[in-house]
Amino acid sequence: MVGAILGGLLVVLVVGPLARLLWEAPPGTIAEAALDPEVRDAVALTILTASAATVIAVLLGIPLGYLLARARFPGSRFLSGLLDLPVVIPHPVAGIALMLFLGRHSAIGGVLAKLGLEIVNHVPGIVAAMLFVSAPLVVSGAREAFASVDPKLERVARTLGDSPWGAFRRISLPLATRGILAGALLAWGRSVSEFGAIVILTYHPRVASVLIYDRFTLSGLPAAVPAAALLLLVALGVFLLIRVLGPSERVHR
Amino acid sequence: MIRLEGVRLQTGGFRLEGIDLEVPSAGYGLIIGPTGSGKTTLLEAIAGHVPLTSGRILLDDEDVTKAAPERRRIGFVYQGYHLFPHFSVRENLTYGLDRTGVARDEAVRRVDELATVLDIGALLDRGITGLSGGEQQRIALARALVPRPRILLLDEPFAAVDHSMRRILRNMLADLRERERVTTLHVTHDVGDALRLGSMVAVLAGGRVAQSGPPEHVFRNPISPFVADFLGSGTVLRGRIDRLDTAVDEHAESGNNPPRFRAVFVTPDLQLDVVADHVGEAHVLIRPEDVLVSKTELPGYPRNRFWAGITRLEREGPVVTVHLRTGETDFRAFLTASTIHEQGLRRNDQVAVAMKATAVHVF
Repeated sequence: MVGAILGGLLVVLVVGPLARLLWEAPPGTIAEAALDPEVRDAVALTILTASAATVIAVLLGIPLGYLLARARFPGSRFLSGLLDLPVVIPHPVAGIALMLFLGRHSAIGGVLAKLGLEIVNHVPGIVAAMLFVSAPLVVSGAREAFASVDPKLERVARTLGDSPWGAFRRISLPLATRGILAGALLAWGRSVSEFGAIVILTYHPRVASVLIYDRFTLSGLPAAVPAAALLLLVALGVFLLIRVLGPSERVHR
Repeated sequence: MIRLEGVRLQTGGFRLEGIDLEVPSAGYGLIIGPTGSGKTTLLEAIAGHVPLTSGRILLDDEDVTKAAPERRRIGFVYQGYHLFPHFSVRENLTYGLDRTGVARDEAVRRVDELATVLDIGALLDRGITGLSGGEQQRIALARALVPRPRILLLDEPFAAVDHSMRRILRNMLADLRERERVTTLHVTHDVGDALRLGSMVAVLAGGRVAQSGPPEHVFRNPISPFVADFLGSGTVLRGRIDRLDTAVDEHAESGNNPPRFRAVFVTPDLQLDVVADHVGEAHVLIRPEDVLVSKTELPGYPRNRFWAGITRLEREGPVVTVHLRTGETDFRAFLTASTIHEQGLRRNDQVAVAMKATAVHVF
C-alpha cells in the first residue's frame, strides 16, 4: 500500500508536468507551430541529428559493449566507469570540453577542418554533442545485453564449426538485440532532449531545444509552449512507434 | 582417440596441473570428480575454448593444441544444454551442418535419422521454449552429433534430469555409442554413470588425475582414501601392516607388481588377515559387497571372523545396507532384502562377520 502511494507520487511527478504542458497547448496552436517553418526545421534537424548520433553510437557501441561484457582485461571496470562519466557531468561542461577537443584550434578539429569537416557551429557539432551525452547509454545497454547472453552459447556454436564472427553474428548479436535497441532508444531520446552541450557547441542552426529556449527567453512562456508541446508529441510518437515495430518478446530463457 | 599429454592450464578459479589421459578410438571415457575439481574446464580445454599453459591435446593423432574450436570437429553438450533460444529445434540441429556446407537433402536425412534415434522427431518444428529437461538434453545431444564429430564431449549430461529419464538417457547414449562409434569423454560426479557407461575412468581431484583405469578396477582397488571415499568403494580404515611370513602370495596379479605376502592389519579394534605388498602405516578398504553377515557363527574358510553390532539397516530397492560396528569402528555390508528377512536381522543384533583375506584391499 505504502509502495503504491510512493510509486504513484513519482508517476504524478513525471507525467503531471507533461500532461500540464499538453493541456496548455490546444491542438490548434500545436498545428500552427508545426506549420511554422522555423519550428519545423528545428524539429527536423533534431530528429536527423539525434538519429545520426544514435546510429554512430550503436555502430561503435556494440563492439565496445561486447568487449566490456566478455573480455577480461586490466582496467576494464575502470573503462566501464569512465564511459559513464558523460552521464554525471553538467552538460555545459561537456559542451566546453567538446569545444576544446574539437574546435578549430585543437589538433583533431584542425585536421577535420582541413578535410572540410567543420564541427563547432555546424551540424556535426550537434551530432558530436548528442553522441557525447548519449553514447554511454548505448554502451551500457549493449554491455548488459551481451552479459546476459551465456558465453557457452557461442562456445557451442564454435564447436559446431562457426567462426568467432559467425558465432557473434548468429548467436550473441540476435540474442542481445532487444537490450541494444532499448539502449539505442534511450540514447535517441537523450539526444533529442539535449540542450546544454549543444547550445555551447553549435548555437546555430538551432535544434528544437535551443529554439524553444530562445523563444522562452525572448518572448516568454506563451511563445515557447506550442513548440515545446510539438517536440514532446514527436518524441512520444517515435518512442511508441519503435516499441510497436521493435522485436517482440521472442526470446525466453 | 583423445590423448592428453601433461595438460596444464589456469583459468578463473581453476587450475589443472599435468593431466595425462587417453581414450581409445570409439571408446567411452569418464572423468569423475567432485564439484569444482575442474572437470568442465578440462572439457573446454579439449574443445579449444580455454588455452593451455603447457601440454598437448591430440585427437586421432592430430595435434590440435593450438587449433581453433571450429577446426577440431568436436561435439559438445553442456550440463545446461545451451540450445539456441532464438532458433527452432530443427534450426538448432542443422546449425553444425549449415557451417560445413553439406547438401540440403543429406542434411535433412541426417537430422531425421538422429531425431528418430533420439525420439525427438515430433519436436523438430517447435521453438525451444517449454521443452522438458529430457527433451532439451536429447536435442543438445543430437545437435552435437549431427555434423559427425570425431569426438563427443559430455558435461554432466544427466545432472538436471530425474531418475527415470536418467535411465532412459543412459540407454540411449549406449545405443548411440554403438551406432555412431564416436570417441566420447563424459564428465560426471556420479559413480553410477562411470560404472555403467565407461570403458575408462579417471578420478580428478585438486587439478590432477588421482587414479585412472577400467571403472570396475578403479572402483574396487582405489589407491587413496580420497578415491575410495569419493567413489563410495567402501569403508577405509587406517592402521599398520605387520608381515606374517615371507611366502610370495599366489594371488599376486602380475610380474610388474612388487611381491605380495600374507600379513596382518592391526587397528585398536580389529586385526585382519590381509595380503599386502608393504608393511607399516597403511589403509585398507572393506568393500560392503565382500562382507558376509550371519546371526550364527560362520564356519571355516574366511580367515577374518569377528562379531559386530547392527547400528542401522538402510534399504535401497532390493539391496539393504547393513551398518555395523565393532569397538569404535563402523563399516557396512550389502545384503539382499530377502536375506535380511530370512535371517530376521534387526537393529542392535550381534552378528558374525566374515571376509576373505584377499577381499581386504590394502593401499
